[in-house]
Amino acid sequence: MTTDTAPARGVPLIDGIEKVTGRARYTADLEHRGAFIGRILRSPVSHGEIVRLDVSRARALEGVVAVVTGADCRHPYGVLPVAMNEFPLAHDKVRYRGEPVAAVAAVDAETAERALRLIEFEVRELPAYYDADSARAEGAVRLHENKADNLERAVHHVFGDPAAGFAEADLVREAALDCAEVNHAQIEPHAALAEYDPLTDRLTMQSVSQVTFYLHLMLARCLEMSESQIRVIKPFVGGGFGARVEVLNFEIVTALLARAAQGRVLMELSREENFLTHRARPQTRVKLKLGLKRDGRITACECEVVQRGGAYAGYGIVTILYAGALLQGLYDIPAVKYDGYRVYANLPPCGAMRGHGGVNTRHAFEVLLDRMARELGLDPFEVRRRNLLRAPTRTLNDLMVNSYGLGDCLDRVERASGWHERRAHMPPGKGLGMACSHYVSGAAKPIHWTGEPHAVVNVKLDWDGSITALTGAPDIGQGSSTMVAIVVAETLGLPLDRIRVIAADSAVTPKDNGAYSSRITFMVGNAAIDAARQLKQRLIVAAARKMGQKPDEVECVGGVFQSLVVPEAAMTFTDAVKEALVDQGTLTVKGTFTCPPESQGGKHKGGAVGSTMGFSYGAQVVEVSVDAATGQITVDKVWVALDCGYAINPLAVQGQVQGSVWMGLGQALCEETRYLEGLPAHASLLEYRVPTIVESPPIEVHIVESIDPLGPLGAKEASEGALAGFAPALVAAVANAVGVDMDALPVTPDRLIEALVELRRRARRQAQSGAAP
Amino acid sequence: MPRFRVLQPATVEAAVAACAASPGARYLAGGTDLIVNLRRGLGAPGALIDLSGIGDLRDLQCAAEGARIGAGVSLARLVADEAIGRLYPALREAALAVAAPGHRNLATVGGNLCLDTRCIYYNQSAWWRESNGFCLKHGGTTCHVAPEGERCHAAFSGDLAPALLAIGAEVQIAGPMGRRRIGLADLYDEDGRAHLRLAAGELVVAVMLPPGPVRCAYAKARVRGAFDFPLAGVALMLELGGGRLSALRVALTGTNSRPLLLEGTAALLGREVRDPLAAELNKLVQKQVRPMRTTLTQSNYRRIVAGALAARLLVSLAA
Repeated sequence: MTTDTAPARGVPLIDGIEKVTGRARYTADLEHRGAFIGRILRSPVSHGEIVRLDVSRARALEGVVAVVTGADCRHPYGVLPVAMNEFPLAHDKVRYRGEPVAAVAAVDAETAERALRLIEFEVRELPAYYDADSARAEGAVRLHENKADNLERAVHHVFGDPAAGFAEADLVREAALDCAEVNHAQIEPHAALAEYDPLTDRLTMQSVSQVTFYLHLMLARCLEMSESQIRVIKPFVGGGFGARVEVLNFEIVTALLARAAQGRVLMELSREENFLTHRARPQTRVKLKLGLKRDGRITACECEVVQRGGAYAGYGIVTILYAGALLQGLYDIPAVKYDGYRVYANLPPCGAMRGHGGVNTRHAFEVLLDRMARELGLDPFEVRRRNLLRAPTRTLNDLMVNSYGLGDCLDRVERASGWHERRAHMPPGKGLGMACSHYVSGAAKPIHWTGEPHAVVNVKLDWDGSITALTGAPDIGQGSSTMVAIVVAETLGLPLDRIRVIAADSAVTPKDNGAYSSRITFMVGNAAIDAARQLKQRLIVAAARKMGQKPDEVECVGGVFQSLVVPEAAMTFTDAVKEALVDQGTLTVKGTFTCPPESQGGKHKGGAVGSTMGFSYGAQVVEVSVDAATGQITVDKVWVALDCGYAINPLAVQGQVQGSVWMGLGQALCEETRYLEGLPAHASLLEYRVPTIVESPPIEVHIVESIDPLGPLGAKEASEGALAGFAPALVAAVANAVGVDMDALPVTPDRLIEALVELRRRARRQAQSGAAP
Repeated sequence: MPRFRVLQPATVEAAVAACAASPGARYLAGGTDLIVNLRRGLGAPGALIDLSGIGDLRDLQCAAEGARIGAGVSLARLVADEAIGRLYPALREAALAVAAPGHRNLATVGGNLCLDTRCIYYNQSAWWRESNGFCLKHGGTTCHVAPEGERCHAAFSGDLAPALLAIGAEVQIAGPMGRRRIGLADLYDEDGRAHLRLAAGELVVAVMLPPGPVRCAYAKARVRGAFDFPLAGVALMLELGGGRLSALRVALTGTNSRPLLLEGTAALLGREVRDPLAAELNKLVQKQVRPMRTTLTQSNYRRIVAGALAARLLVSLAA
């Protein structure tokens, strides 16, 4: 089922007014009069053993209330229980320029900064590695003693019979593609406000986190406090995109300072420090080999991925597993071989970023598929259609696919862009390209296995008739609280304005794993519906009792409880609430959601990564104009279709799809990190080139609704799936426009001019050798 | 941000006097360059002399017999001025190419002419530069762009200067010794560490333009259509007589430590503006510009694009 236009049921985000009027308080805006100001001393060298760290002069400075170092936290931390190899403040060694070494809290910023300059820090330098090849080279010094060849993780997966697949193919081609490291560049810089009360031994932490539960866990671990003594609150958050999807060193450091200072500490990181904290998409080299039948049918896929992961583990193991797992789930591929290498280097640690793990391999896959289609004389849409899955199905690597709207997505953007009428007749310098992509709706297996449900939502009904949904799910701008409000309202048949949502305050809301892997709509949405259904049943039972009817003969429509048998027997919502509270008082019902075992991936090592309740599917067409003299690419328009199962809030879906396409545009055109001997030369919003409104094209969004059988109201994720398709569609459009195949991202003007110069040189050489006898 | 006093003189003379009385003081106009640098620890003047209260500096006169633009005129006002756009289109195009609307509301003509030179090793935080052993331009002894060389290669990155050079502007300067007037090209030296030929306490007061209309245009290469400083910027002025080129001035920014007035253009005069001529200008530009590794974008690209833009401007202006 598809809708021709975005349905009219979309609503603005329920916290939108606070944001656009400036009333919303982000972490740095929180009342912090009287708070001490925290600052972090960072390593000036890339790799070395700490010889001396003397903070005595800083501690003695008037106005300094606390100084902490690695000695104040003896526990390593990290998002993956199997790979905690990082300390909030360095122990023994530093492994990248900018790694936190010590921190100060003082009465004001000036004093804190002066104190940092009084800290004496000496390092015996070790060889440093800034690329994966040199880090893996024979004889390279290990960053971590237990990791030979500086390999954090090697993954080797084979599904089906790739050799037979390639033997069967009519065309086999290989490509090597490089994708530069990128950063989330979320607009709100990192900040945390920590308050330690020495009288009660309690810590209250307010931070920019996407994962308040993990933050809670890591604070307890690193500060050696009981979890019950800690409260974590997420204020308004100005964007995440994965930047805050693991606990960050500055958050723990702020808490350490607050305890040492026996008071409140505000830590605000500069933009440069945001880039040093990093945790984004790694620089990646993808070597890909595909086999195709003459009709475009894929026979086999072989893929090697090398990710330069930075100095610490972070999410690295998951990223390198995703890169392989998400080769599947989009098309029907009979054989897949994957070799992934996650490599340590002396640079800020990488992590998760929108489209986690899948983006760069998807880029390589779509680009090579497109080039091979060209060689075979097949239309890019046709070659995709030859390889569609049929839902329900399971992929070779045991990923569950219950709904699949990719075919509809292809139809929609093909028609909307006028692909067939226009592509063959584009004026000089103009081109059209297309590509597909997908993404998980939540990782079906949680990182911390507890046996608890994947999501819990409490819904409270009180004497005043108000309904409050309590969820631990952090709304970071993606609209998750609005989603909860809508599904609760729809389930109860009530207007949206009767629902309040309180999110992500550990003292009030049930635990939630956090805003990552696009899990909230599917998991928290289902839990919210479960809670609302239970509440509705309680109200129906009460209303039926009062009206002398049987509960199964009473329905709630538009807030009125109505007997299906006796038409005059009806009851207002308010009266039903009064009746329901008799003998009970305030009602709180709990809804839960658990991903069934069959969704949790294959039995092979690493099989849980990529597993999900359902995939979103996207297809997009990109139109470009290329200035062959300056190398400037203008994206004129994007047509994108996303199968999000069901659009609970079409307005929010449209925004999320545009946002993900736009983020793909940044990675494709102009965003990249650049280190000079390990120093980030890009660490400002001037040098790290996020597209401006000038580069932002009209993005026409088409919503495809495949109605997932297990999704909340049929919904799947909508915020990440469209990202990975942009870059390959752009590269295809550039090839269509000026005839060059770009192998590196981003396609900056200098890279494009270099490729065009090379193309002309080659053409000249060919002409000369052709002219020779 | 270092601590400093802010002085707010009402006249140019008072500003000059205030500067003489406060050694190390800096003039402050829009602050879009200076304040950003001070925040990064690039300089610690004891006093800033705020020029925004000096009415004379905001004077803008533009008529058929020429124009006088006060150094304190904002770029936004320059962009909005109908006569400037009509008589000196390159100047409007250059002003419009600076940063983003918010910056242009504050940034001034004088500030853009006196913009500090830029380099990827210089425009960084204090922590960054200290970790890198500082550089020849500030606090250190080595130019990381050309470690073997003797001088700083930071690139001049203002957009107005090439347009004004192509138009043939002069600048008026005030200082402790009074006022003087020089050709704009004489304001600059090819030295990234000391690219302005201003004596201690001197400031640019106004820019004087010859009578218009001047047939001129400006084009800027950058990765993004806003914010970015020029990777290369080209301004071009030409006159045609009987279909042939009778005058040509080409000036560039972003490629050298000063705005570069192209030499050797006389050899192109007297010819029709057609294909070989544009290609020759392209070559001439590529031969004279000296982009160094001061940006994250490859310097060879900056050379190529400077030539390409010059050739394109020549053809489009002659059309």
